[in-house]
Amino acid sequence: MAQQLALPWTEKYRPKHVAEVVGNADAKEKFVAWIKTWLAGTPSKKAALLYGPPGVGKTTLVYAVANDFRLEVLEANASDVRTSEALKRRIMSAVRELSLFGYRGKIILLDEVDGITPSQDRGGLDTILQIIEISRHPVVMTANNPWDPKLRKLREASMLIEFKRLTRYEIISALKRICSKEGILVDYGVLKEIAKRAKGDLRAAINDLQAVAYGKKRVTSQDLMVLWERSAQLNMFEIVRSIFMARTASQAKSVLAQPNLNYEMLFHWISENIPYQYGESLEAIAEAYNALSRADVFMGRIKRLQNWTLLPYALELLTAGVAVVEHKPKFRFTRYSFPQKIKILSLTKEKREVRERVLEAIARKCHTSKREANLEYLPYIEIIYESNPSQGRKILRWLGIGERTFKKIARKKEA
Amino acid sequence: MSEALWVEKYRPTTLDEMIDQEEIVSRLKHFVATRTLPHLLFAGPPGTGKTTAALALARELYSERWRENVLELNASDERGIQTIRERVKDFARTMALGEVPFKIIILDEADNMTSDAQQALRRIMEMYSRTARFCLIANYPSKIIEPIQSRCSIFRFQPLKKEDVIKRLRYIAECEKLKVTEDAYEAIWEICGGDLRRAINTLQAAAAMGDVVNEKAVYRVVGRVTPKEIQDMLNYALQGNFLKARDMLRQLMVEYGVSGIDVIRLIHRELLSPRAGLPIPEEARIELADLAGEINFRLIEGADEEIQLSAFLAKVALIGKRYLKKT
Repeated sequence: MAQQLALPWTEKYRPKHVAEVVGNADAKEKFVAWIKTWLAGTPSKKAALLYGPPGVGKTTLVYAVANDFRLEVLEANASDVRTSEALKRRIMSAVRELSLFGYRGKIILLDEVDGITPSQDRGGLDTILQIIEISRHPVVMTANNPWDPKLRKLREASMLIEFKRLTRYEIISALKRICSKEGILVDYGVLKEIAKRAKGDLRAAINDLQAVAYGKKRVTSQDLMVLWERSAQLNMFEIVRSIFMARTASQAKSVLAQPNLNYEMLFHWISENIPYQYGESLEAIAEAYNALSRADVFMGRIKRLQNWTLLPYALELLTAGVAVVEHKPKFRFTRYSFPQKIKILSLTKEKREVRERVLEAIARKCHTSKREANLEYLPYIEIIYESNPSQGRKILRWLGIGERTFKKIARKKEA
Repeated sequence: MSEALWVEKYRPTTLDEMIDQEEIVSRLKHFVATRTLPHLLFAGPPGTGKTTAALALARELYSERWRENVLELNASDERGIQTIRERVKDFARTMALGEVPFKIIILDEADNMTSDAQQALRRIMEMYSRTARFCLIANYPSKIIEPIQSRCSIFRFQPLKKEDVIKRLRYIAECEKLKVTEDAYEAIWEICGGDLRRAINTLQAAAAMGDVVNEKAVYRVVGRVTPKEIQDMLNYALQGNFLKARDMLRQLMVEYGVSGIDVIRLIHRELLSPRAGLPIPEEARIELADLAGEINFRLIEGADEEIQLSAFLAKVALIGKRYLKKT
């Protein structure tokens, strides 16, 4: 328990000053120079795009610079501020205001702009461009992949600053500093191994170090081996197999000991594969699904009430409940399937969006909800269009829906 | 050329034109006359004139400026109470235009809000009660929390009477110069009952099918309106083809965007419908209806709708096996 409550070392040891930020000297210099032009009032570009792989210090540098220059950071993570409205509300009012007392100015930080999907975050990218245009403060964005075509306009509006993977030496020396502050003795071999596996990502390296070293005074290569063996994930296929193969509740439950088990994903996997594994017995399918359904009811309560003490019940039904059923057929080797629901969701994304727009148009015109538009209006409009296209077209025109758009979502004709 | 759906074209614009609900209409007219308005809760089954009454009330209060003074929100479309709060805030910040000292916020499908969201709504209602009146619309008044109910005048809309539904349909048929047979009116009534919206939509769709609207055309519409997939899905499940049934389920939910709750309701409607042609004995229908109820309950309680409905289909397959063997 105590381990979970501890502050992550990535936060505890996040550099406060530019001088402490590890590596990427060129990027640091370029960024600091750019901020200085802002403070002098003559920025060459109004925005900067810091790009590079994860865990190399992009966000950290922004905060360190802000701290050194007494600037206030206003952060919006692009992946959680969804639509452009949300982004506007959060940022637009702030970009024109002056800063609080005690700060010399602000930095507007938009993290992970490559996480914005143009289709989902309607206008999100355009809003960012607008923000850049009207902002009186430096706008800083970060991205892993800046070369995405959708980011072209942002690239053109920004000063590009590249961050490279950190070298193994840079990572080792950063880890060493943490060890000495924590008062832990760690074998050099361990640090070398962690740095090697981190592949230039300092955040990952620090997380690994904390996992192996926390609460210890001395860490050897032996400790590292144990940790990595334990966390060597069985992949989902194997987890699903060991659940279906289990003959006792405790055997089935044992998969829960896997660290980092994504049990939400496991729900989808089990649901997908019950009929394949228990194919010959309708009884077994029904029994397993009943357990899964009960497990899902617990999940619903957990989410609604935020009552995580119920989680063990849900997970036991998910594993043991599905594995130990009265009419269980003999285990046979089964080729498991990736959850189709997830696949279908991504395949039909475009169609669903079109549908959403059509329903919005109906809802607006007919003073109703999209749900009711779907159930109480759309089917009738489909029939009218099908049996009397010219009249159908008139109605579509009235609704403001293009005929081609409508055809994309209309159901198949009566057989 | 464009043409409106008849439900909109023939939606009453004044309180006097409203079908049935005389009691309600007279109380609403009193509010218009005195230019006072409490918060309102319109409750009742679909297609009985709740939204129409709210819009007509607004029109009569503000005449041609009604659009500026009315905010229409739909609880099931807004993304949570936070966006409702924002939109109400923006709208109610300024005073009403004209002689009426308040604006109206119509919140449709309010009973789809969680009780937490309703608590927040209650606070919003209080916060803006100086400048705005709320008109909440719900199918089930009991799903509205007590403190909101007690702040509202509650109006219970009754399902429309048969003669009034048919009278309205006749009026529309006359305006549209339709030929409608008597048995067609009877069929529409049998299918739609006191839900005038569905009745009018059915009439319009049947009219698009041919020159004369007769019983057969009406039933063809009905057969098309309930997605074929619902029947197919049940039939596959009953025959023990669980995988096919699940494919149908996914098509309904993912492609056609029907929510899990609505799927189970459509199934339920299909189970006891005499025309559905499900090849099962009567006692199996009851067993299935009971099961549908249980799954409806779990859908509300649970987290993942597809899992719950798959569990339903798996059970249906078992029931099918039991009964189809007997016959």
